[in-house]
Amino acid sequence: MRADECTLAGLMIKAQGGDRRAYTVLLSECSTWLTRYYANRIAPSQVDDLVQDVLMALHRKRASYDPARPFLPWLAAIARYRWVDALRKHYRARMDELHEDSAVEESEEDAVMARVSLERLFVKLSPKQAEAIELVKIEGRSVREAAQETGQSESAVKVNIHRGLKKLSALVEKAE
Amino acid sequence: MNRANSFLINELAADLEPVRAFRARDGLLLTGAAVVISLLLVALIHGFSHGTMEGTASPFFYLANGLLTIFGFACAASVVRMASPSVGNRYSGAYWMLAMLGVLPVVALSGIGTGDHAHDILTDPYGLECALHGSAVALVTAVAFTGWLRRGAPVDANRAGLLIGLASGALGSAAYGLSCPLDTLSHVAIWHVLPVAIGGVVGRLALPRLLRW
Repeated sequence: MRADECTLAGLMIKAQGGDRRAYTVLLSECSTWLTRYYANRIAPSQVDDLVQDVLMALHRKRASYDPARPFLPWLAAIARYRWVDALRKHYRARMDELHEDSAVEESEEDAVMARVSLERLFVKLSPKQAEAIELVKIEGRSVREAAQETGQSESAVKVNIHRGLKKLSALVEKAE
Repeated sequence: MNRANSFLINELAADLEPVRAFRARDGLLLTGAAVVISLLLVALIHGFSHGTMEGTASPFFYLANGLLTIFGFACAASVVRMASPSVGNRYSGAYWMLAMLGVLPVVALSGIGTGDHAHDILTDPYGLECALHGSAVALVTAVAFTGWLRRGAPVDANRAGLLIGLASGALGSAAYGLSCPLDTLSHVAIWHVLPVAIGGVVGRLALPRLLRW
């Protein structure tokens, strides 16, 4: 079962008031939502770490949720912020390749999900920036491998990653 | 859900304490309080000018200070909203207003309507003093907004730093402007707008490191 926006907002308001039971349910729902949210946008081995990172951020910054506004766009902004941060930090030479048939079940995205998705950020990058980040930061290839695969020089790959991540961090709240 | 996530969720739930949710109204009250403190400081240290007290200053004086105040509040509204991030938030309004404010120095430097030469405007003996005092008063608002956003969750530290600087510079300069006896277009449009630029540059360069989380 997926909790809807209204239910999540209600749980969050109760959590801000100190209701631990509501908070436990909320965090469980957020954990499921975030795991789906990050599918195919970070190496599978890193998804759990990132989800936990966002849950801790949510806990630390729970006062920043304004009860007068929707919950999911708030959660998505924090999720995007931590995601860009994770892409910056985890500069690995090689990591497990993404599996095409991810274990996470695909479901129909509703209007809110489409608006807040990570794909929305990627289309704002130039094709070369998106390709460099995709190969090196998400699939875990080395800069040299990415350069060979894309036909860019190694310096160009590095520059595209740097500029692409900088652009992503400025687009966290972008919805269209 | 895996065991590590369940464990973390239980830990976080056990640690839960009630919190006061961020509301835009609180941020606007903070802005109002910072402006009032700025005005009190200006009144105590410099005193308000005769033109301000008697309402006899030139139209340029009211025009420039009015624009600075509105621009400052527009940026302040963006800063307040940044504490509670949300996909779909927009902040472009402040940049359009910055362009609007930029018309003042452009007109002053062109000498249209005043006949003043750019060289005379830029060598105004009281100009730098006004810009520095306006910038000093801006610190009140800057400190308040930095504290606000450090408690919140801004997701673009660079933009947040820039907007804090612009808002503080504009509100600080507008507050200090009430004590300045010089009310010509060439003085006000350059030296009272300069703190906005100073605030923007300093905020963009110095504040992001304080705002990342």
